[in-house]
Amino acid sequence: MMTGLILHASAIGLLLTGIYAIAARRHLMRNILGLAVLESGANLLLVAIGYRQGGHAPILVAGQTPGPMVDPIPQALVLTAIVIGFGVLALALALVVRVKENYGTLDNREVAERLRAESREARS
Amino acid sequence: MRRHYPQHRVIRPMGHQGNHGRLAASALFLAGLGLLLFNLVASIPFGHAPLHVGRAILERASGETGADNIVTAILLGYRGLDTLGEVTILFTAAAAAGMVLASAGRGQAQGEDAGFIFRTAAWMLFPFLLVVGAYIIIHGHLTPGGGFQGGAILAAAFFTPLLASPASPFNHRVATLVEGFAGLAFIVIGLLGMLGGGQFLTQLFGKGAPGALFSAGSLPVLYLAIGLKVGSELAGLMASVFGGKEKA
Amino acid sequence: MTPALPAIIYPVALPLMGAFLLPIAARSLPELAGALGRVVVLVSMAVSAMLASSVWSSGPAVSAMGGFAAPLGIVFYADRLAMLFVLALHAGVFLFWPRGRGENAGAFTLMLTLLGGGSGLALSGDLFNIFVFYEIAAVASYGLAASGGGRAGYAAAIRFLILGSLGSTLALVGIALVYGATGTLNLADLARLAPRMLNNPLGLSAFLLLLIGFGVKAELTPVNTWAPEVYGAAPARVAALLAGVVSKLAIVVILRFLVLAFPMPAARAALLVTGILGVIAGELAAWRAPNLNQAFSYSSIAQLGMVAMAFSISGPAGIAAGVALALHHAVVKPAFFMLADRWRAPLESLKGAAKDSPLAAGLFVLLSLSIIGIPPLPGFWAKFLFLKAAMASSWSLVWFAAAVMLAATVVEAAWLLRAISAFYASAPQSAPRPPRPGMEHLGPALALGALLLAAMIFTAPLGASINALADEAGGAQAIAARVLDKGE
Repeated sequence: MMTGLILHASAIGLLLTGIYAIAARRHLMRNILGLAVLESGANLLLVAIGYRQGGHAPILVAGQTPGPMVDPIPQALVLTAIVIGFGVLALALALVVRVKENYGTLDNREVAERLRAESREARS
Repeated sequence: MRRHYPQHRVIRPMGHQGNHGRLAASALFLAGLGLLLFNLVASIPFGHAPLHVGRAILERASGETGADNIVTAILLGYRGLDTLGEVTILFTAAAAAGMVLASAGRGQAQGEDAGFIFRTAAWMLFPFLLVVGAYIIIHGHLTPGGGFQGGAILAAAFFTPLLASPASPFNHRVATLVEGFAGLAFIVIGLLGMLGGGQFLTQLFGKGAPGALFSAGSLPVLYLAIGLKVGSELAGLMASVFGGKEKA
Repeated sequence: MTPALPAIIYPVALPLMGAFLLPIAARSLPELAGALGRVVVLVSMAVSAMLASSVWSSGPAVSAMGGFAAPLGIVFYADRLAMLFVLALHAGVFLFWPRGRGENAGAFTLMLTLLGGGSGLALSGDLFNIFVFYEIAAVASYGLAASGGGRAGYAAAIRFLILGSLGSTLALVGIALVYGATGTLNLADLARLAPRMLNNPLGLSAFLLLLIGFGVKAELTPVNTWAPEVYGAAPARVAALLAGVVSKLAIVVILRFLVLAFPMPAARAALLVTGILGVIAGELAAWRAPNLNQAFSYSSIAQLGMVAMAFSISGPAGIAAGVALALHHAVVKPAFFMLADRWRAPLESLKGAAKDSPLAAGLFVLLSLSIIGIPPLPGFWAKFLFLKAAMASSWSLVWFAAAVMLAATVVEAAWLLRAISAFYASAPQSAPRPPRPGMEHLGPALALGALLLAAMIFTAPLGASINALADEAGGAQAIAARVLDKGE
């Protein structure tokens, strides 16, 4: 019972921290770190959902007494989600490098304002 | 044409600008959201969530795929298509990052050489990392680990020397070749499964004895392809971010 | 009962094989890289057309990946709805293939992964697998948004990426909740369990989280702030493809979720409200937009809002109306984006554009008349289907939505006519001549205009086909039976 409470509370805490860092912070690096935190929250929640009372890791070992195993599907899903998150993070960092080089700032709001101004300028 | 904006503008964190009302509002919003989420999650009993598909897989995985590691049986068997998709995302991200960083007009932002000791140590680590990575990949269907974890270690083998001395050459051509053909191999193995009237990714070989290295049908082969692909992708991605020199 | 058709993996497998091989080919044969990519798209399109004709003649087909029976493994489910959008995506990718040769190999690779990911999105019958394919398409679109090489592209792409990933991660939380409540990820299995296990606050929250996640790509309000930025900064071809086809795939997936896993009035109401907000916000912003490119970006938000409104009406009539609106927009909007690529200046400086480029201006008028909904153009029939479905519904919020759509049509007509009257006004002698759309813009736009006219001629068979498609896509329990009861 206690374990479940701790796991759920930490997952939700991570989710909220991530949302805060993305929505309320202006620095692009903080936004991206927020994404990483948010993702770990989602992954932790998924793993917690797959836990079975008294279960052990879903790997068959010779000579082991057969007992309940935890649900293997969320573990597989989390593995997939981690790799997806890594790929997105790498692309985000590459883009941040170029934004910094071209705009000289990583302030999300300032970048957005300049972007809007540029799209208003006549291009022909 | 290109306007010059002041470089290095300092961004103050929100709270320090005296914007306490906004901070309080976001705290209130987050607290509400947290309460909502907590109530939702609490309606799923911890440790006793419905085990519907999971139970069926736990009972049948060993017999149907021959893998001892049931997570592997899911990753490469039951949900093999997810894994293909995941490798594809990594590939897509690497291609996009390469494209973004490769465009003209980018200054060479190279780090400094880390010195003789690090350089030597990086090269001494190289063979060990290769062996460990390969071991983790080919035992993925028996023990924890597999293509992704092993692939990441393989990438580290190639990337550690680059970290120690950023000027050392990195062979992007070989990385592209390995990456492309490993991905192709995954799909071709999947399509071969369709030859005998099966479906995409149907197992190719016999299941073998449980626990043996050569068991679990085509799963180890798929893991090998994933390991090579992930390894070359990560190494190539890191090299293009850190500006490793192209070796023709 | 339902034929197993392993070949429905090809629209995913072929483009991905092409994507893996293209960087290698581009290194040794840079001159041919673009052409090779186009060949892959054509081959995949031919195979998809064959599959579509088989689905059209002998009904939906199923393939269980790896041969693992339905709820355990991942299932592909190909019905008319899925095949229609797979074909539309192939056509879009072919038509808006990036220009250039080996130096543009990155963009070619991304186009192919977008094609494979998008096809998988339409075909997959598994909640998490759909998420994976959605992420493939999303990452490819982030890259394509930056593929123009300008600095605005990088800024628009990173902002798109942050919003998109926030959405997808929330969608992942939604998937976790669904799995925790039911223990399955298979949509057909969920169709059977949902009335009992998801008809509660947990189910509604999971749907809302999925709506936020997939709504980013579907340009649903309020997660569509990226659209005007990306469409303004990315190459016109990318804007045309994303607004035209990729956004439709996302909203079709939302429809699948709604029909199969969340058949509850509250979920429909949520989709309807975001649709209404999108229509209002989109058209008002389009009216005030600084140039045509931005106006079309905002109007695309409004058009997708209309599709969302239609999909929220329960029953096949709503699905048919939504599909008709989506198809019409998928033809018209890319053509608009191509025409407006050179006409990004404020309207005053476009005076007299019709004199220099009469063909482009004429096409602009035709497309405008159709999107406003002047009979007998297809746009009229799409809006008519929606109004008919709304009137037949007993839900008063839908009547309000219909009124909103009529009001939005007036606003849309006003700003389109403002642009047209500028084109046909006589230019002052001293003013510089407005730029002319080149052949690379006019070609795809003309092809789409011809498609629009063809659709006008074949309205009757097209309508019958869409109705049959909607009947098939709306029957949740029939779909569940086809996927789960195979061979028993």
